[in-house]
Amino acid sequence: MSETGGTPVTTDESTLVARLSDRFPAASLAVRNLSRQRLRAGLAMLGIVIGVFAVVTLGMLGTALQTAALSELGGLGNQVIITPGDGGENLDQREIQTIRQAAAGGGTVIPLKSGGASVTGPDGQSFGQLYGTTRPGSLFSVEGVPDSLRQGAVIGDDLAAELGARVGSTVEIETNRYRVLAVIDSEGTFSPIRPGSAVVLPPGEFVDDDYTQVVVQADSADDARAIAAGVRERLNGREERVSVLSLTSVLSRITEFFALLNGFLLAIAGISLIVAGVSIFNVMLMTVSERRGEIGVLRAVGIHRDEVLRTLLVETTLLGVGGGALGALLGTTVVVGVALGTRLPLAAVLVPTNGVVAVGALGFGILIALVGGLYPAYRAAWEPPVESLRG
Amino acid sequence: MSDDAAAEAVPRVERATRPVPPLRLDGVTKQYAGGGGTVTALDDVEFTVERGEVTAIMGPSGSGKSTMLNMLGLLDDPTTGRVELLGSPVAGLSASERTDVRRKRVGFVFQEFHLIPTLSAVENVRLPTRFLETDSTDRAVDLLDRVGLGDRLGHTPDELSGGQKQRVAIARSLINEPDVLLADEPTGNLDRDTGETVLGEIATIAEGGVGVVAVTHDALVGEYADRTVRLVDGVLHE
Repeated sequence: MSETGGTPVTTDESTLVARLSDRFPAASLAVRNLSRQRLRAGLAMLGIVIGVFAVVTLGMLGTALQTAALSELGGLGNQVIITPGDGGENLDQREIQTIRQAAAGGGTVIPLKSGGASVTGPDGQSFGQLYGTTRPGSLFSVEGVPDSLRQGAVIGDDLAAELGARVGSTVEIETNRYRVLAVIDSEGTFSPIRPGSAVVLPPGEFVDDDYTQVVVQADSADDARAIAAGVRERLNGREERVSVLSLTSVLSRITEFFALLNGFLLAIAGISLIVAGVSIFNVMLMTVSERRGEIGVLRAVGIHRDEVLRTLLVETTLLGVGGGALGALLGTTVVVGVALGTRLPLAAVLVPTNGVVAVGALGFGILIALVGGLYPAYRAAWEPPVESLRG
Repeated sequence: MSDDAAAEAVPRVERATRPVPPLRLDGVTKQYAGGGGTVTALDDVEFTVERGEVTAIMGPSGSGKSTMLNMLGLLDDPTTGRVELLGSPVAGLSASERTDVRRKRVGFVFQEFHLIPTLSAVENVRLPTRFLETDSTDRAVDLLDRVGLGDRLGHTPDELSGGQKQRVAIARSLINEPDVLLADEPTGNLDRDTGETVLGEIATIAEGGVGVVAVTHDALVGEYADRTVRLVDGVLHE
């Protein structure tokens, strides 16, 4: 510094800022330019905030709902239910054996006896749906339900509430008394068997020896499809001996529906982002037309067109980055808040897909801002300086 | 005509005795397509910028002064004739090359000062070199000190008076050590005393070997000029 050169203040902080602004001249000019019209820059950014917020919120909620629904319905999709065909009431041992062969290696076969009866508990009496199986755990796959059942009963939560029964209580069905071993949380399961009013007993408690239906819990949706086909082929070759119900196709329809719904929601949210892009376009157009003379001076004193363009694009990108980050943050916060305040499990929100949604929305917001600013910046930078200087 | 004879004689004489002038207009004509036909803004103008000399181009509004300055500053192209920079024509230069020429060889001072409102005096002076690797802070401070603003380095334009702003603009025009300083109504927005101070600065700059051209209709500028030419309806009169 020359000795006659005044006394500029040079604290550590100011030299750091100076060094940064020397290193990134376009960025430092852009930041200063944005600070000139704070309200206008703020409003342009608000558009991006709202757009990204909408995309993030709707996108994340859609994904979370899909995840939550599929985790509840997932078991349903893997179930194959075999009931007696035309005229029959029971499945005999040979038929069950054939089903076991068809399901070998692909799933668990659970023969069921069923019926209805009046159930009496400590506080009252109600109608219960009786099921006879030794393997309630495979059937309901909810926490607390034992894998095997040799004595006692497992009852549904709705029925338990009506009877005033808890684990350890005794319920009475047709003069027989059973200790309640577990209560099925019907919210956590989804099954063609109505779990709320179910009473699961060991099959030996039923008078009839034959089973009324067989539920095959397949290992995957593909296995379920293969087992359903195998059972049909083996048992229904000549006559319709059994009827086979597989919900795999229903589940894939549900998945498709969710994909469609999510796409629709994201499209609506996307429109709000595009509107934000138009607002950025407008703001940048105003900004460069106000600064026309100034840009002319920049060009006259030897700043290149691409350097002017870069400065303006950094400005518009900063609007996108700032607005996008804020929008993504707000959106994520709101979705997590919704998950914490409702029955939507937080685990369904915190899936990798939602990370992609947040980052994607941020990227889209930045892109929209950049595209919105592109034409105004280009027009300003490429205008002959003689024209710009004329103001 | 004697003008023609002079035009033919000048190049030979110059080459023999004087260094190549930084800028020269050779038979420059500029026409615009206007509403009522073609408007001739400059008509066959011969003009040479000499180092160390202040030239005032006087003339009423609309006489073509600004057009002439734009030609000299490589901001505009003549319809016919040629503009020479250090003896070579600029017609073949690309937009980017012209920008480089302006950045390295030409300084501009405008009537409206045209300082960037968010930048301090030092940053405004450094503006032309902002995108270059070199750190011009020391030179900027030095220049501001020279124009008497050594105590206003960190001030933004709105904290400066009109005269101070124009002096910042002059310092800015010198940051690149130009061969030519082009001033468009440098005193247009200044009172007489401040105008004199600014013109004093400009005269000092010329003494340092810079060719200064000022277009103006302020008679005061003529007092500080080594040479005054008049431009009337696009025709230059010595």
